[in-house]
Amino acid sequence: MIEIKNLSKSYNKGAVRAVEDLNLHVKPGEIFGFLGPNGAGKTTTIKMMVGLLIPDKGTISIAGYDNSKNPLEAKQNIGYVPDNPDVYDRLTGMEYLNLMADVYKVSVEERQERINYFLDMFNLTDAVGDLIKSYSHGMKHKMVLTGALLHNPAVWILDEPMVGLDPKSSHLLKEYMREHCERGNTVFFSTHILEVAERLCDRIAIINKGRLIAIGSMDELRHGDQAGSLENIFLELTEQ
Amino acid sequence: MKTFVSLLKASLNVHFGISSLKYRFTKEKKRLWEPIVVLLAIVVGGGSILAMYSFLLLAVFMAGQSLGHPEIVITLAFVASQLIILIFGIFYIISAFYFSNDMSILIPLPIKPGEVLGVKFITILLSEYLVALPMLLPAFIIYGAGSWQGILYWLKGAFLILLAPILPLVIAALIVVLLMRFINIRKGKDVMVIIGSLLALMVGLGINFFSLNLPQGTEEEFIMQMIESNTGLIEAIGNKFPPSIWATLALTYRGWQGWAYFLLFVGLSFLLLFLLYWIGNRFFYKGYLTGQEIRRKDTAISTREMQRHITRTSSPILALLQREWKLFMRTPIYVMNGLAGMIMVPIFMFMPLVTNSEELTEVLEYARNPEYSLIVILISLGIMLFTSGINVVSCTSISREGATFWISKVIPTPPKDQVLAKLIHSSILSLLGLIIVAIPLYIVVAIPLLHLTILIILGFLATGLINVLGLMVDLLRPKLSWNDPQEAIKQNLNAFFSLLIVLLVIAIMAVLSIILIAAKVGEFWIYGILALIIIVLLVPSMYGLFALANLRYRSIEI
Repeated sequence: MIEIKNLSKSYNKGAVRAVEDLNLHVKPGEIFGFLGPNGAGKTTTIKMMVGLLIPDKGTISIAGYDNSKNPLEAKQNIGYVPDNPDVYDRLTGMEYLNLMADVYKVSVEERQERINYFLDMFNLTDAVGDLIKSYSHGMKHKMVLTGALLHNPAVWILDEPMVGLDPKSSHLLKEYMREHCERGNTVFFSTHILEVAERLCDRIAIINKGRLIAIGSMDELRHGDQAGSLENIFLELTEQ
Repeated sequence: MKTFVSLLKASLNVHFGISSLKYRFTKEKKRLWEPIVVLLAIVVGGGSILAMYSFLLLAVFMAGQSLGHPEIVITLAFVASQLIILIFGIFYIISAFYFSNDMSILIPLPIKPGEVLGVKFITILLSEYLVALPMLLPAFIIYGAGSWQGILYWLKGAFLILLAPILPLVIAALIVVLLMRFINIRKGKDVMVIIGSLLALMVGLGINFFSLNLPQGTEEEFIMQMIESNTGLIEAIGNKFPPSIWATLALTYRGWQGWAYFLLFVGLSFLLLFLLYWIGNRFFYKGYLTGQEIRRKDTAISTREMQRHITRTSSPILALLQREWKLFMRTPIYVMNGLAGMIMVPIFMFMPLVTNSEELTEVLEYARNPEYSLIVILISLGIMLFTSGINVVSCTSISREGATFWISKVIPTPPKDQVLAKLIHSSILSLLGLIIVAIPLYIVVAIPLLHLTILIILGFLATGLINVLGLMVDLLRPKLSWNDPQEAIKQNLNAFFSLLIVLLVIAIMAVLSIILIAAKVGEFWIYGILALIIIVLLVPSMYGLFALANLRYRSIEI
């Protein structure tokens, strides 16, 4: 579902190497956790996946579409939520959702069903008529999540999705992620909350200073050492 | 004091973007050519305005001299600059004191409110010098050199000029801080913007109205009479705001009287500064924090209404057009900048026509004469293009998206369709501008409907070209990083580039028209040829725009 090959990106004309020669393959039906310390290159990688940044080198394919050769097809298959939800403050929640539904060409029946579903799940029904600028940070985040998932994309790419969510919403989102993947889809998300990654992810990648330093299921990462928590593994790997 | 200085340094750094510029030039190495172009534009544009202003002052000085009041030139410059700083200062101060994003960082710091206020005040003060110095220095130099003043004049004058913006700005700050303590202005931020713009509009109209009541005659007589009739006005303003007069008196009176006024001016400036600090410590945070208390209305919409919303679908282009329209219309600063100019210019232009002067009646008769209809149409076209061209809608339409541009980058709508929605949006507003000019043309100049229709079609095509080029400029250098929407249009150089495009298009049309008229081409042929040429320019420009959009929507990184 997601195929990243030899991906590299640097800033300031090569002075800062944000991502170096990254290779990842995320299969259908997988919840994939993307971990790393601050500044490791997680957000840069995610931004390249969704087309916000251009890689210096390498290719990214989403649901079979190369995102530089067939960007629109790739985008149609992605539901992306950034870590900081900057969204149109002067639209109402409903107007924003309708805009998203229109640009992703979601049919009336589908939008009816999903908008109601998400608004209910995130407890936003009462706020949907207000301008987004009156929302709290968490509410904005939930609104962006809803907008990103309306078209039922095969691949979810979420940057720090749990930040700003209240415990109930976070719980429901995790459940929904699982259901989504059980239908053969893919969730790719970055997080700093290691417990979430440990419990939720089928596989985990750890990136440090732009390079992939570990990838695999929890068992594979532990190398058979059943006592090792993800926290220990993470600290051990990233401090090397 | 140490914290104050470091806070001030940081504030100036942010305000003038020093670190970000440094970063851009030393690390990112992006758009290194830009400062040269900007500098050139400022030297050419600013220089010519300054030269014109200086000539006007020189004329005022000479006329004043023959009336025995050469100092009128200084009073004029002081009154005008202080008035401008007072009026605009109020809005700068409201926005810097109460609506800036750094307050949430500053309030928790262990710094006195008066110091925070002081830092913000000095930051605004320094940018006000950009207004005050070009206005005051020429008057000061003209008077000083023209009346052979001694060294003391120059020293006193330099000091007074440096102090000049303080008084009006402190007064503005005092008004704002005290008002904010009692009024929750934050709720009505949008209303404030509208009131502010209307005020500016009224000042503009007022000035225009005064200048219309000018006596007639030769240029010299004209200025002489203007001074005679306006001395009263300047004095009247001076009486309402005596410090402006004090500065003049400090400079022109010799001996102890001059020094007394000098001390009065300086003393009052410092006294008010201290008062501001004192009041700041007491009221600044209280006023700010009361303003913060807003809550969401929770206007739950009924299930039926929600279904109605959901079932209304549009094509992506139409949906994006609606987005453009709503975001533009719901941001007062955009509406004011985009539309106010379009409304103001025709009013300025047609106001003389409704006043009953003989000369103007003649002009009107000339304009109504069918023999001259071609000239009238072409001039009207120029006015129309200028009026609807100066709206900054197209050349800021990417910039206005700011931090939300990521949405445009991730949605599966082709960039071509996205800019098309923006082009339609700016063209609708341009059309509005055309119609605003067309109405008075129809009523006052009585242009026949057929000609009016031709005019609107030509105008629509030409503004289309202007909008396409404006969008291209914005695609090439969008200003996406801003905190307040006004930065997206007011502090955006694209508006300047767009003005150049407008002037260029007008120039092309003018040259073409002159050539065609000289070649004795028939009236309707000229319209046809003009239309054809615009279309010939427009079509490839549109393809260029779409190609550029495909390129830039991918390469603009956010």
